[in-house]
Amino acid sequence: MLPLTLLRTAVYHPMLVELKNGETYNGNLLSCDNFMNIHLRDVICTSRDGDRFWKIPECYIRGNTIKYLRLPEDILGLVKEDVNEKPSRSGSSNRRPFRGRGDGGRGGYGGRGGGGGGDQRNNYKGSGGGRGGHQGSRGGGRGGGAGGGGQLRQGR
Amino acid sequence: MDLSIVNNDYYLSGMAALVGDIDKQLMIMLRDGRTLIAYLRSLDQFGNLVLHQAFERICVGRQYADIPRGLFVIRGENVLLIGELDFHQPIRVQLVEVTIEEILKLQKEDIEKKGRIEKLRQKAMIEHGLIDEGNPIEEHY
Repeated sequence: MLPLTLLRTAVYHPMLVELKNGETYNGNLLSCDNFMNIHLRDVICTSRDGDRFWKIPECYIRGNTIKYLRLPEDILGLVKEDVNEKPSRSGSSNRRPFRGRGDGGRGGYGGRGGGGGGDQRNNYKGSGGGRGGHQGSRGGGRGGGAGGGGQLRQGR
Repeated sequence: MDLSIVNNDYYLSGMAALVGDIDKQLMIMLRDGRTLIAYLRSLDQFGNLVLHQAFERICVGRQYADIPRGLFVIRGENVLLIGELDFHQPIRVQLVEVTIEEILKLQKEDIEKKGRIEKLRQKAMIEHGLIDEGNPIEEHY
């Protein structure tokens, strides 16, 4: 859990930001990035001496002016949950789009191969469509099927 | 994480040298003069730190007080010094703990006193032509 990961977990939580010049900003974190630039909402700004206050609905702070951030202590618990959740989530989401893309892509090729099956060298191209069906899945299968149809029509 | 590399002969250069100090209680001094005592939970290549159960120790003379501060993310640039606390060492300087209110009062007085001395110093420097009157040296950054 890196410091900036912790900060990302703290989105929508209240926090105190002290700048290098001593001013402090109390507010809810809206967003942050890898430069530590932060976007706060409902901010109370306190002067360096702590004797003047300003209420600001929203403010954006450039990361390099920050001295430190004080976060609520329960963020540490949240970040641990996130770390536990992530591997399972990314694992399933990694696999799915891959398969999905395989479906679409190969199915498409299979179809084209099948269409070619209507041509003279129908055997060769028809088998290409069939192969697409094997490697891929349903989409490929459908492509192969279309190839078969082409062959039939050619036969007539 | 396998910490065996940290314990012995290997020295990791840069911020990685601090990986062995993770989850230890450390003293961190900031560039603005503040001193924190806290558990180091995490760090990155920039020296940004995550400090847990932090308290700020204010020391004036031989008196001190600890102000609980909770969870910190410190931007690395502002760190002056990080040191491990060794509780097995005998304490050489006996400090007296006082209340937070007392220490804040003492600190205020101390800052005012230092400010007065600094003003006198500046005045003397200007009189001797060592610094420019228009550009007094300030601690602001």
